[in-house]
Amino acid sequence: MKIKSGLILREVAGNYVVVAVGERAKDFNCMINLNDSGAFLWKKLEQGAEEGELVQALLSEYEVSEEIARKDVQAFIKKMVEAGLVK
Amino acid sequence: MLIYKIADIVFGAKIKYPFTASVCEKYLYSGDEKPEFVAEITQKEIDYEKSVSGDLTFPEPYVESLALFRALCNHALSHRNGIVFHCSAIMVDGGAYLFTAPSGTGKSTHARLWCEMLKDRAVMINDDKPIIRYIDGEFYVYGTPWNGKHRLDNNVRAPIKAICKIYQSKENVIEKASVKEMLFTVFNQTIRPTDEADMDKLLDIIDKMLKQTPLYKLGCNVSREAAETSYKAMVEGVIDEN
Repeated sequence: MKIKSGLILREVAGNYVVVAVGERAKDFNCMINLNDSGAFLWKKLEQGAEEGELVQALLSEYEVSEEIARKDVQAFIKKMVEAGLVK
Repeated sequence: MLIYKIADIVFGAKIKYPFTASVCEKYLYSGDEKPEFVAEITQKEIDYEKSVSGDLTFPEPYVESLALFRALCNHALSHRNGIVFHCSAIMVDGGAYLFTAPSGTGKSTHARLWCEMLKDRAVMINDDKPIIRYIDGEFYVYGTPWNGKHRLDNNVRAPIKAICKIYQSKENVIEKASVKEMLFTVFNQTIRPTDEADMDKLLDIIDKMLKQTPLYKLGCNVSREAAETSYKAMVEGVIDEN
């Protein structure tokens, strides 16, 4: 799973947002809001992390159980897919 | 070549339709400043504009005027800390008050209510697409010729005093808006670049503008009371507790 090209994560006025540039801006013309852990996972995805690595990353960054981390990652991925941000 | 000064940017325009020249007439410039750039609108720019507007039925002269605006906006963002913000901008006692909302919500109507209430104290800066520039730590809004269906604009600039998001409501009610809830509204009402470096400039300007400008959200109907409600909060700083 990869983030589509042309989607960039930025921090604007204290909020994490994703916007589109280049060719991507033609079919994706809005701003998407990510919370802190969403932005954290996005950065890991940018580095090529797969689902299992995302879970491990959450575990080492936040004090959560593996079960919750796995659920969070799955919910995050589901949202990414629904929003058309990954392929 | 025609020379214009819009948003304190002097530039040359190579255009072919009298329509575009008539739209921009108020902004013709005959002073000593050299043009910063030349916008040459060829068929290529016109065809591009048609492709992004999604409406191929627009008459070509009108599309040319939009292409000229795009050329100015691109330059303003890349070189002059300038963004286009879709709003009604009104000047009262020298300060600017901006009303934004999705098209059809009533921002022009609300701005007109201010004009009717305040008479000579109010000047419409631009009713649709003013340019905002960040200069020496302050935000200024400028009139542009691209002024919406009511064709209201003046070639003036004013420092921004407040930005207000409008939604329709039976009762008139105003409250402070958070940066977060204004961020998406403001971003969606800007003209956005596709170049990544320019996108970062746009986001940086929005970031600063939202942090240092008083922000409001107004639920309003079409009445004098609606204008009084927003005026009291935005100009006098008074919000009624209900």
